[in-house]
Amino acid sequence: MFRTILRRELLHNLYSLRFLISLALLLAVFAAGAVSFVRSQAASLEKYRDTRGQYLENMRSLAGESATELAVRRQTFSLKPRANAFISDAKERYLPNAIVFSAWNVFSFQNKSGSANPFLKKFDELSWTFITALIVSFIALLFTFDAVSGEKESKTLALTLANPVPRGTLLLGKFASAVVSVMAIVLAGVLTSLVIVVALGPEGISTALAGEVFGYLAVTGLLAGTFAAFGLLASVVARSSNVSLLAALSFWLVFAAVIPNSSTFVAKGLYPIDSSETVQKNVTAAFDDLNKNAPPGSWMMNSGNPFLPQHELRANLQTKRLAAEKGIRDAHYRAMFRQFERTRLLTALSPVSLFEYLSEAVAGGGYLRFRKAWTDMHVYQEQFLDFFKALDAADKGSPHWFNPSENVSTTRKPVAFEKVPQFEERPLSFADRVGPALKYLLFNIFVLSAVYFLAFILFVRYDVR
Amino acid sequence: MIATLVKKDFLTNLVAPRFVIGFVLCLVLIPFSILINISSFRERTAQYRIDRDAAEKAATEVRVFSVLRPEIVLPPEPLGVFGKGVSDQVGNRVRIGLGDKPLLAAGKTAAGDNPLLASFFSVDFVDIAAIVFSLLALLFSYDAFSREKEDGTLKLQMSNSLSRSTVLTGKMLGILTTLLPVLVFSFVLSALLILFSSDVSFSAGDWGRIILLFAASLVYLAVFVFIGLLVSTRSKSSVTSLVVCLFLWVLLVFIIPVVAANFAESFVGVASRDNLDRVLRDLDKERDEAIRQAYKAQGIPEGWSCWWCSSDEDGFMETYGNDRDEFESFRRRAAVSEPIRLDYADRKWAPAKAYLDSLARQARAADRLSFASPAGLFRAVASAVCRTDLAAHERHMDRARQYRETFVRWLRGKDIFESYRWITPADPLTFRTKDELVEKRTGGEFKSVREFEVWASKQTDARTRWTKLSEFKVPGDSPDDFPYLDVSDMPRFEGQAGTILSGLESSVLWVGFLLIEAVLLFYVGYIAFIRYDVR
Repeated sequence: MFRTILRRELLHNLYSLRFLISLALLLAVFAAGAVSFVRSQAASLEKYRDTRGQYLENMRSLAGESATELAVRRQTFSLKPRANAFISDAKERYLPNAIVFSAWNVFSFQNKSGSANPFLKKFDELSWTFITALIVSFIALLFTFDAVSGEKESKTLALTLANPVPRGTLLLGKFASAVVSVMAIVLAGVLTSLVIVVALGPEGISTALAGEVFGYLAVTGLLAGTFAAFGLLASVVARSSNVSLLAALSFWLVFAAVIPNSSTFVAKGLYPIDSSETVQKNVTAAFDDLNKNAPPGSWMMNSGNPFLPQHELRANLQTKRLAAEKGIRDAHYRAMFRQFERTRLLTALSPVSLFEYLSEAVAGGGYLRFRKAWTDMHVYQEQFLDFFKALDAADKGSPHWFNPSENVSTTRKPVAFEKVPQFEERPLSFADRVGPALKYLLFNIFVLSAVYFLAFILFVRYDVR
Repeated sequence: MIATLVKKDFLTNLVAPRFVIGFVLCLVLIPFSILINISSFRERTAQYRIDRDAAEKAATEVRVFSVLRPEIVLPPEPLGVFGKGVSDQVGNRVRIGLGDKPLLAAGKTAAGDNPLLASFFSVDFVDIAAIVFSLLALLFSYDAFSREKEDGTLKLQMSNSLSRSTVLTGKMLGILTTLLPVLVFSFVLSALLILFSSDVSFSAGDWGRIILLFAASLVYLAVFVFIGLLVSTRSKSSVTSLVVCLFLWVLLVFIIPVVAANFAESFVGVASRDNLDRVLRDLDKERDEAIRQAYKAQGIPEGWSCWWCSSDEDGFMETYGNDRDEFESFRRRAAVSEPIRLDYADRKWAPAKAYLDSLARQARAADRLSFASPAGLFRAVASAVCRTDLAAHERHMDRARQYRETFVRWLRGKDIFESYRWITPADPLTFRTKDELVEKRTGGEFKSVREFEVWASKQTDARTRWTKLSEFKVPGDSPDDFPYLDVSDMPRFEGQAGTILSGLESSVLWVGFLLIEAVLLFYVGYIAFIRYDVR
């Protein structure tokens, strides 16, 4: 029975005008997105190589000066443009993409100037995620908004139900056929995009990509399902297809255009954080306090003699200053992360945002990627520091007074650059991706089931005449 | 006759559920967008006050001219509450330096204190208007003829002695009169929110511009009504025309602007910022070398030793309590270095400008490409009307650069680089020799530097040298002995007093495009309707 209904609904969808237009539109946009990605990826890779080359060159020359110089100077590590950004760019353009560190501390993160043109109004990358979030949700609604009310108007619904067809089966058939039709269109688009990216792209495909494509298709199925459920709901709340269309469009506007784009307003009010001026003031106050209590002579400089006793005083002072600043700043960063994550939770009201976060996890990019790099960088910084301390311990000519911001009272010997541990960004593991996304996934499944269930109840009570 | 038709359509539309839903949608979303932006305007105003006060303080609490670096802080644009354009991402603070012309404005962007929040976008009135007005226009026009044909009323209507153009005009006016109240309500409601908000106040000129925005919205709405009518006259059934209209809506309003930005980004590259920074750094090195050479040529010692000094980038040098010769060296160094610094600022401007131009070119290309959609045209016009588009920002930056020239001229006019006042507020008449200084500082214990040095060389702790010299305070040894500089004659940055129509030259052209589009669509719709089979 279910198969007959599914077949009928599928054929009905397949021959419809909306299927054709959706297919054409989606293919065109997927192709445009792929072409645009290939071009911009080549340009950003070139810029990245330049930046990376300078970064290594700078480190090499510092290592040639002395190990201390290398340890003390701040470096800026830039994240590489992600090869699978065409699946989900996860707004990386507007997220931090560089981390400032030395052997002593991970200082800050920044959005390196040049990654986004400030004159160009903020826009979404034409990645699969954007296309899906916008168009697939729309198409899913379009396939379902008149599933019930439309058939009622054309009087076929009463006919169908005159047969021994359970209402649940009929609704499920409609739901399944909408999802299958939408996914068929998506699949065509994805294949088009993949062909273009692989054929013209600067980087080949990896085995990981296959998994990511499947993951993307899975979460897209979830999105299509959610919106199909909303469409069915719209279809059964109204007597006429016109009204159900308006209801469906209202859902879509709120979910795709309003909620994801008004979250900062709410978040800033609900979860305020200290202003950067306050943080700076706190840091300055802590510094002043330390300076005041420092033993006299702490600030006396003489770079010629490493064993000058004042160097030890200053090394202690600088270490305390670093610890104080680190404490204040890290707390501020944690507040930022918390504010950001809570803002996300707010937007999770919208299935479109849910989908964006899920596909970000699938592609292993965006905020998740940055947070992993940020955490890993802290681990690396410890290693780097241990490496430096070992070097210093081996140097008889060093007083071993560790000073996180000066180069006078520790080893002055150069170090072979090849031996220096380098920070390498590692791709997110499966657990890294699933962990943060799990709550979104479960919530999405819950929304889908709840809306579908509601639609089912209303359909059971629906007057089909 | 047309009046009857218009009235009939108006009444039919009015009782339709789509009118109620559309109206409610507007009445919910538009105030919401205004409220969001009033709140962000409040935030920006608070930040502006902090920044402005800090800049004011920094400009008045200086004792020497070399430290004087005015900072321009631009107030947030009240009209940004309607359309924020690029205003919340370009910064609003410009620091006027000697070694550089202002490149990009600094300052907090929309993300405020949390840069991560920059990855969330936010909507404004113009965005919502572009989305909702076009949707409403299409929803009311998609079935203008196809539905009446299905109902059989079109046949009836046409069997009367009515020309098709009358019917079409009647339809069009009927839909526009239905939508006009929605549009008016949206604007009035927004205006009321602004009037009742204590955070934003509009000038008369601002209200005038809101009326212009209203006019632009009306044209935009009309374009979509004509699109809907055209589709309606070309489709067999109302379902078909609905599907086509909805896809057109998504394509024109959501997809084309994004595709335009993406293509601009991919195909109109911008110069590399890293590269620019490198070029500028190299020029800085070259400048420092040129300054060094000039010192050598004039026989000025390069190194210095001072009693109290604070120096920084961009030629900052403030010093106190030196002997006469040292002060003289400081003065001569500045007299040589600062004109060279200014020359190099001009030389550094060429690559910087090339970089800026490439940014602007990309942004303009995105705009132009988005003109393929009426929504792109509408957004461009709206942000020009709200003075928050790129051109407005560029005008601000140009004026900031002109102000820098004025400021530099003012400095030069005072011959300040050759003056002691560039580096110290102390009166040259009070300058002393080294020996006199040592004598004063040690309370007469040592009569000359020689005597002091002989004593100092016998001390084991290097610090005693300084404690000895600090025993007696000599007036003029520290900044606190001097009042702040009187800079009341310094030229001030003048805010722009634009007229109601300033900066709208290109918008006129774009509205012209929209009108031409509207007329063309209407004409094509008319032809299509003449050929329409009403049976």
